Amino acid sequence: MDFLYSYIILAEVYVLLGLSTNLLVGIAGIFSVSQAAVFGVGAYLVAHFLMAESLGFIPALAIAAVACIVLNILVTLPALRVSGDYFVVTSFGIQLLATAVFTNWTNATGGANGLPGIPPPDVFGLPIESTGQFVILCSVAMAIGGLAFWLLMRAPFGRLLRAIREDELAVAAAGKNVLRAKVSAAALAGAFAGSAGGFYATFLSFVDPSSFDLDASILLLTMVVVGGARTLAGSVLGPFLLLALPQVLTLVDIPTSIAAAMRQLIYGVLLILFMLFRPQGLAGEKL
Amino acid sequence: MVWLQLLVNGLVTGSALGVVAISFALIYATTKIFHVAHAGVYTLAGYLAWSLVSHGVPDVLALLLAILCCTALGALIQHQLYARLERRRATHLVVLIASLGALAVIQNVIAAVYSSNILQFPVPWSSRVVTVGTLRLNWAQILTVVLSVLAYAGTMWFAHRTILGKQIRAVASNPFLAEITRLRPQRIYVIVVAIGSAIVALPGVLVPLDLGLQPYGGVTPLLTATIAMIAGGVGSITGAFVLAVGIAVLQNLSLLVIPGEWSIGVTFFIFVIFMLFRPTGLFAKAR
Repeated sequence: MDFLYSYIILAEVYVLLGLSTNLLVGIAGIFSVSQAAVFGVGAYLVAHFLMAESLGFIPALAIAAVACIVLNILVTLPALRVSGDYFVVTSFGIQLLATAVFTNWTNATGGANGLPGIPPPDVFGLPIESTGQFVILCSVAMAIGGLAFWLLMRAPFGRLLRAIREDELAVAAAGKNVLRAKVSAAALAGAFAGSAGGFYATFLSFVDPSSFDLDASILLLTMVVVGGARTLAGSVLGPFLLLALPQVLTLVDIPTSIAAAMRQLIYGVLLILFMLFRPQGLAGEKL
Repeated sequence: MVWLQLLVNGLVTGSALGVVAISFALIYATTKIFHVAHAGVYTLAGYLAWSLVSHGVPDVLALLLAILCCTALGALIQHQLYARLERRRATHLVVLIASLGALAVIQNVIAAVYSSNILQFPVPWSSRVVTVGTLRLNWAQILTVVLSVLAYAGTMWFAHRTILGKQIRAVASNPFLAEITRLRPQRIYVIVVAIGSAIVALPGVLVPLDLGLQPYGGVTPLLTATIAMIAGGVGSITGAFVLAVGIAVLQNLSLLVIPGEWSIGVTFFIFVIFMLFRPTGLFAKAR
């Protein structure tokens, strides 16, 4: 039962990340391989505040979200001003730089060994300790995230973002501020990724750089691509399907030494096949 | 005289990086595809040569065979992946994601076959050291500089003096006009990616001679090379090569004040400076 619970919790955390990646890649149309870095910043920040016992879980989560909003704005703003392709460089650069920081800034992040013993979260004085309680907490968080995403896509702002994806030039000619809309989408993506980091860190009570590296970013991208871009259903479907994949792989008899490589290999194959044959994913819209 | 040694080391890595940069610049300027999978081709070259040398194939023959295989792989990626996507009128983002998928596939096939540990080339001559005054260089480094400069000169000659090179530049500057003059852009694209992959195989084999092989080791050199290409001005082969050398020298000299694990930060800092002050690059042609 605990096994099923932890699958659900992790999938729900990844749904938040899926929404974040979807906002950036699917909706704003910005190629990103640095969402795992932002996720990591959120996770390390929350871990830091809870371990120092300086803040409760909710304030720590809020600070992580704000920090990730600022980070995503700083990252997207200069690159968006120049050209779409330069953002690829920025994105790879941020991801590699973040991995370097997580691994080498040993005093704050514990280096490659990570940070063990992150205390469990509390919600307004109520400690969340059992896995069952955690399922409820993450389900609530996912529901809030999903609702926010869904409402936003129905709002004028969502329509503006859709219009940008259809024809950026036309939107600019209609007097709308394209840059501001894209940066807002990126900021929101930061908030989702940052808070997902907080839930992840407190649930596992351990964070290390390997959860937030380039491979993790590729996994996030695969989730959105498989689930489907620009829809809530796609962002939910992708994480639940792809997180089940490692369990399926354990049924096939492959040596553990290459299991990680096989997983990433499958993600790569999925990315190629979906782009070739079904760019809208299982439940999404045209990418 | 530490700085002198660092300067020379910078020139060595820089010349290899310069070849990566010109190969990428050739592909990017012509096909307009941000060919992320190029990092995989670069890595594969080293592993192929390693396998061949380990099985007793003469060193030179191993290098040539590795180049040949990479040429074929490049042509395959363009012909089977990018050209198909182009026919489906895929957006830029879709092509990028597919390219990232191809990178993940190549890297993880390598990791699954060779394990993800660092491999050293079984060639004793490469680590033999030559001392000039206080400078120490090994044969792998000397060979890298000589062959890289030759590759640069060869590429310049090819692009400006041969019919095929001129055709490629014609397609690069205006594919529609080139099509009217009976040049088939899609055919040229396959040739360009094949040639770019052949060129990148050279540093792909030479650099690991000195530093060893790692399945995920291609991303950082490619990122640095793309930064050099952008900073040099897209479309300028000389710009890409010179800037790659410059960045590598700066990176090595920065070791005097900043520990080596942060060198990705130095590279990225250079990129941000260029983005802020000279986004079109140093050697950009007037348009």
